Amino acid sequence: MEQYIQQVLAPRVQGDGGWVEFVSLNENELTLLFRGECSKCPILNRCTAWIEQKIFEDQGQRVTVKAIRKKPFFWDNQ
Amino acid sequence: MAHVKVERRSMRPEEWTQLRFVWLQRGIYADREEITDITIRDARQVSESEYEYLDGGERKLQRGDLYFTPDGTAFIRAHAIVPERFRGRQVYLQLKTAAEMIVKINGKFAGGLDPNRERILLNPYIDRDELDIEIEAYNRSKPDDERNPAAIGKHGCRQIFEGMYFATVRDNVQSLVYDYTLLLDIAHSEYFNEDYRKFLNIELSRALDKVDFDTFEGVDEAAKYIQKTIYENTDFKGSGDVALVGHSHLDIAYYWRRIHAVQKNARTILIQLRLMDKYPEFRYTHTQAYTYETLEKYYPELFAELKEKVARGQFEPVGAMYVEPDCNVPAAESLIRQFLYGQHYFRRAFGKTIDNAWLPDVFGNSWIMPQILKKSKVDYFVSNKMSTWNDTNRFPHNNFIWKGIDGSEVYASVPPTHFISWNMPSQIQENWEAYQDKETGGQTLSMYGYGDGGSGVTEEMLELARRFEKVSVMPKIEMTGGADFLHKNLKDNDKLATWDGELYLEMHRGTFTTKSNLKKMNRRLEYKLREAEMLCAFAAAFGGADYPAEELRACWKKLMLNQFHDILPGSHIHPVYEDAMRDYTEINKKLDVILAANDGDVYFNSLPFDRDMLTFIPDEDGPITREGVKGFWSRPHLPGLTCGNVSPVQGKANWMHTEHGQDGKLLIETPFYRLALNQDGSFASLYDLTLGREWVRPGCGFNKLHIWADHPGMYDAWDILPNYQDVEISLPIQEAARVTYADDSSAEIMVDFATEKSAWRMVIRLFADSQGIEVEHVVDWQEKHRLAKVNFGPDVLTREMLCDTSAGFIRRPLTKNTSWEQARFEVCHHKWFDLSETGAGMAVINEGKYGVGVEKNKVSLSLLRSTIRPDITSDMGKHHIAYLILPHAGDAVQAGVNRLAFAYNVPLVKATLTLPDKWREALCESGLWLQSAKLSEDGTMLVLRLSEQDGKRACLRFPEPVKLLNMLEDIEGEADTLSVKPFEIMTVGIPLNEGGN
Repeated sequence: MEQYIQQVLAPRVQGDGGWVEFVSLNENELTLLFRGECSKCPILNRCTAWIEQKIFEDQGQRVTVKAIRKKPFFWDNQ
Repeated sequence: MAHVKVERRSMRPEEWTQLRFVWLQRGIYADREEITDITIRDARQVSESEYEYLDGGERKLQRGDLYFTPDGTAFIRAHAIVPERFRGRQVYLQLKTAAEMIVKINGKFAGGLDPNRERILLNPYIDRDELDIEIEAYNRSKPDDERNPAAIGKHGCRQIFEGMYFATVRDNVQSLVYDYTLLLDIAHSEYFNEDYRKFLNIELSRALDKVDFDTFEGVDEAAKYIQKTIYENTDFKGSGDVALVGHSHLDIAYYWRRIHAVQKNARTILIQLRLMDKYPEFRYTHTQAYTYETLEKYYPELFAELKEKVARGQFEPVGAMYVEPDCNVPAAESLIRQFLYGQHYFRRAFGKTIDNAWLPDVFGNSWIMPQILKKSKVDYFVSNKMSTWNDTNRFPHNNFIWKGIDGSEVYASVPPTHFISWNMPSQIQENWEAYQDKETGGQTLSMYGYGDGGSGVTEEMLELARRFEKVSVMPKIEMTGGADFLHKNLKDNDKLATWDGELYLEMHRGTFTTKSNLKKMNRRLEYKLREAEMLCAFAAAFGGADYPAEELRACWKKLMLNQFHDILPGSHIHPVYEDAMRDYTEINKKLDVILAANDGDVYFNSLPFDRDMLTFIPDEDGPITREGVKGFWSRPHLPGLTCGNVSPVQGKANWMHTEHGQDGKLLIETPFYRLALNQDGSFASLYDLTLGREWVRPGCGFNKLHIWADHPGMYDAWDILPNYQDVEISLPIQEAARVTYADDSSAEIMVDFATEKSAWRMVIRLFADSQGIEVEHVVDWQEKHRLAKVNFGPDVLTREMLCDTSAGFIRRPLTKNTSWEQARFEVCHHKWFDLSETGAGMAVINEGKYGVGVEKNKVSLSLLRSTIRPDITSDMGKHHIAYLILPHAGDAVQAGVNRLAFAYNVPLVKATLTLPDKWREALCESGLWLQSAKLSEDGTMLVLRLSEQDGKRACLRFPEPVKLLNMLEDIEGEADTLSVKPFEIMTVGIPLNEGGN
């Protein structure tokens, strides 16, 4: 899963100035760290839903994404 | 008595007007019918013209669906029949989106949709009742979204499809909306007369009283009321004279990859072309030959239309250069090539030589620019940043003369306001008020149009422009072109003030350093291209060999593309960095192939002077590892422009003595120095045995590595703040300075540092036969928000530092007496900087560094940063950074620092090549730098570019007359003897069927 996130999904997210990293997979809860533009995206939930869908399509696994946002200090008040 | 603040809680009259303005906007569409037969196919762009379709194929798209995926391009198709009730009327396609869409109707390019425009007129494309709609849509929409709040909420990788409609418009409502957009902007702006704004607030409210917002009856009466009471009122007067120039700034890469700029550019141009059809008075300026090239290649149909509009004078190519490059880091030859390939493109495509450089967004401009402009047939220069982004001093001019390092002069315009504006009266008035050359400079320049995929000018901007002359408080307005503005106001204007110096931007000082690898590769390839081109040109001119013109041109163009002002400076997202490094690898490989064709058993010294400086020669069997490559040190002893064998430098036994001193210092004596090294590799003392003097100023640090906390904020990749030295980060020594290698010609002293995440090795190289001391930093860098610098506090009494610009040196003050000096705490240099006093000095020569910190008693070479925006991985990974510390007698010129710096940067490559003596001697005896040798673009001449680098006069004597060329390779004369001024760059041509060949 980590490799899939890194090689398939991360480059897509990077193309929009975002950043996603695998943190853990416990049962079906997939924890992902979002940085860059993703860290302040007001509609990140749409993207995590897309990630869940892609993982199901490509990996055949149903997961629920738990998103952790890591905002840079200069966006911390947004 | 307690102060009680009076606060109005009920609706103000102005708020009532604003509310009704929103109702008015809702009445723009008279009728709509949804188009429902829509399909979508997701893809991802993988090259300039190729897409990788994602799984799932074509699917239905309905209002309310989520569409787009991260970094995705969507292909949307719809089939529809124009509703009976709309036939014979003006029918629009309406679609609200935060993405960037190119729309084709029945196979023809109809227009573009994005956050700044939501409808396209269909009538010109309706050749039958049925319509086939094709949309290519890129979802990464950052078209000035900070300036367009409505778009921010919709922005994102996944968007909600809001439906696609046929629509008809109430023209009178739309017209009244434009009136209110214009007049409310004035009413809300403090740039305009307060009495007039009160008058507007009263009359705008009265006009809306006439409108029934259910039926939109009364709109015509409201418009008449505005005409009579507001537009025909002349009681209030404005002042000013503003030239409005339509423009759309386009970053070739930034928050998108360069492959995406192809579509962004095409869509921008398409939209401008369609506006020109409707508004014949509209003129638009567009820069960068590269963008025209891609349009011609991938959108020939649009390019044909564009050519027609260029011929009619509506579409105006400006800028003369291949791209809008960074103008600090690229070397002189790169900037010359930007003009050469840019101008040759414009000549071929449009029969035009562009006489202006148009660089609104670049981060300051090198002092070498005016000469390069002038000799590229460019008399005018436009760049906005200094007026709007300086953080300390207000740049004192907007329309002026810019005098370059060699004394060349060009007319310059630094417009008072931002290059992206949306043509609002308040923006125009602000421009006029900020304009500083009202008495001398003629009109002020205001560029209007969204940028970066926002796709330039909108219908609203042009409708507003048509109304400006009706508003008595507006400045006098002229809708004009870029060149016309410059010619009218600057040409032969003898009142203009002169700015003699670089155009330093007091911001974005970090861009000299961010993304170290890009800068290093750019420098390396600039010189490798010089070698490859020169060898091929000499072989062709003097040996009749084939010349790989196309291959060399392709390498130059790829290099120039990556010199774009958000690529080379490092201010971009991660995929842009990957693209650039991939491009550099490709260029490098191509140059290896080209060089291999000239390969030989001997080495060619391409320097126009004796190469006798210690040079590292790569060799798999060599004893030294430098920058990860094995090899040996050699003194080639090759006369200029000759070839010969090289061998390892002859050693001397027992040339170095070491012992351990107090406080863990390592004491070393060489034939040149007595050196006391601290445990961290910094020099406690460097006593020069030849000159009999000390070089280290106590307490300042010399070769002292520092890691600083680096938190510039939002402009992370761009900026270094003046207080960057507030917090120093510890870099613990893992292994103190110790001798790790010594033979009879060189020795290495290593120091190892480490943080929790990073490993840092400093390698100090001493030589038996050279006073140069090389330092290499081998770094695995995994930090965040850090700035690594190495300080030099030489014991030299001087108030200035000389910095190489790549075409001469600039003297920079070390004093902090004025706010201008204080603001230049981090500056750009090229291959070297030097601090000298009468009789002696010290230079530091680098091979890919540009940022230098300037302080009272010391300077610092900026090595690495670790910013997180726009790329959170910026500068992470392995680095080899080398520089040469060079104490010397005399000043930098007397010490020949320029020559040593060239030798340090120019690789010695294998080639068997013989130049005719008469030409070789002419080039070597001139004392000039042979910056480039190539065949002319038309293949008829050997073109030689020579530059004076030391600030003195010189003479070029050729064995027979040569053609005198400008930088575009136009013949301007003929001579066999040329006087060369300080810092002058000369270009000459030797016809291939004549001369020494």
